[in-house]
Amino acid sequence: MSQFRAKKLDLGAYVNIRNIRDHTKRKVFMANEPERQALRYIIRNTTFPQRVRAQAQLQLSGMHCYTRFTQIKNRCVMGGKGRGIFSDFRLGRYQFRLNALEGNLPGVKKASW
Amino acid sequence: MATVPARSRIVELMKLQSSIFRTTHNPSGLRIGTAILASRLKGSSVASYYPPRIGTTKQLRALYPDWAVIDDKEEDWVESLNIAKSRGKGAPKKKRTAAESKKFQKRR
Repeated sequence: MSQFRAKKLDLGAYVNIRNIRDHTKRKVFMANEPERQALRYIIRNTTFPQRVRAQAQLQLSGMHCYTRFTQIKNRCVMGGKGRGIFSDFRLGRYQFRLNALEGNLPGVKKASW
Repeated sequence: MATVPARSRIVELMKLQSSIFRTTHNPSGLRIGTAILASRLKGSSVASYYPPRIGTTKQLRALYPDWAVIDDKEEDWVESLNIAKSRGKGAPKKKRTAAESKKFQKRR
């Protein structure tokens, strides 16, 4: 859904289309989060009339899939991998190993006992 | 032996508690979506996952207009363009009118 994508590249670090896409999804999610939460509130509040709640349900399900949090996936910032990501470091397992051995990650040290 | 306080007293206490801590007073336990209203927005932290693109030549030029920021890639590109132009291999001139355009001329 390139209509959401930034016209100019606004991503530092590793760039590939999946990372750009995920970044776009994150920005769209941020822009639409208040609206989603408001609709969710109307849906969950049982004191509102049933008609209003049903309309809110329709509106929420009609929103673009990019506004949904479940679309967002943590990807490796340095290698673009989608699996095996340490979310604390935003790195894939191999990039994590390389950087940790190089000493780029403060406080991380190879275990040995 | 301590006696169990009346329900009305407990409700009163809950009301006071919610007024102090600014929470919703809902003694009957209705489903009114309080949790959604109280939850924090996580969008900004989610959106800042990838580092922003900083330190580009354009940004540097905008920040320091008095300084000449040299971009090696751009210089190489301009140089190759100039060489191509000097050899007569540059881009063709832009056609401004339909009459100039080759597309509408009759082929022989």
